[in-house]
Amino acid sequence: MALDADEVAVREWVTKEQLTMPVLIDKYHVVADLYGIVNVPAAVWVDENDRIVRPADSTPGSDLFRDFSNVDSEVHHNLLRKWVRSGERDLDDARVREFQVKPSQDVQLARLHRRIAIALRERNQDGDSSASREHLARAEELAPLDWTIRRGNMPLVGVDPFGDEFFKFVGEWSNAGRPGFKLGTGRVKK
Amino acid sequence: MNQGLVVTQDGETTAVEVASNFGEFAISIEDFERATGWQLKPEGLCFADTCVPVANSSVLTNNTHLDLVEFARVTQQNIVFDRQRKVAALGERADSRSDSMSSLLAPDFKLPDIHGRQVSFSDFNRRKRLLLAWSSW
Repeated sequence: MALDADEVAVREWVTKEQLTMPVLIDKYHVVADLYGIVNVPAAVWVDENDRIVRPADSTPGSDLFRDFSNVDSEVHHNLLRKWVRSGERDLDDARVREFQVKPSQDVQLARLHRRIAIALRERNQDGDSSASREHLARAEELAPLDWTIRRGNMPLVGVDPFGDEFFKFVGEWSNAGRPGFKLGTGRVKK
Repeated sequence: MNQGLVVTQDGETTAVEVASNFGEFAISIEDFERATGWQLKPEGLCFADTCVPVANSSVLTNNTHLDLVEFARVTQQNIVFDRQRKVAALGERADSRSDSMSSLLAPDFKLPDIHGRQVSFSDFNRRKRLLLAWSSW
């Protein structure tokens, strides 16, 4: 599921990688809200009885960004294999609850400002984007440390998500104690 | 033109007619019921079998339109709206979202796939599911 307002970019990547799993496009970040997802890539495990058995956590598919993320991707992959094959979980229900990222009211309102921005963008595709940008800016004021808002907004306002603005954001986020996913699956010490 | 747009919690958008002379962000009752799935009944605001009484109905509705801001207050939802551009978004408050997360019941959702087909999370029920969030950014 792609947290993405850019359908074309999603389609291009899925075609290039020849993915066989269902890939959904979540323009309005509905799933981020439902499951407490504050950054990508992230994974949630749901069992046969519709129970969440592992909360959203940072789970890279590979070690491509390991130097930056300090996450060994194999740790999650191995836990996942074990659960799929034997049903054995690494967390009980109490631990799942402990490591969920519950939203603040400001984050919930930021998500709604972002939705208004996306709706305005869809309605007014080739026209003036200032109204949409106003709501994206308001979302960032309300949730300055949420990656799906701060970094997710960057391509929508023509900012490079790997550029100066991004590293400025990472600095702010680090200074604030790196809030977000709490579980830290596969985190390696430097 | 009074043509507006409402985005609901599930990410659905509905075109609505916005009142120019009532409420903070009032839309026609017909559009309200279509957009939200709630109904305005003599006993109050109802969603399926559950009804919430309305203490001050003249603030909520003028019998042709219903104020979404008052609706959100009565039903304890969040609302953000842009009066000038006639767009409103409804969503869960932080406390009720936190409670639903704590239940550990995986909420269902429906989204379009890359071919535009609607897919529900529950289309894959009775199986283990790995829900992966990623993005192009």
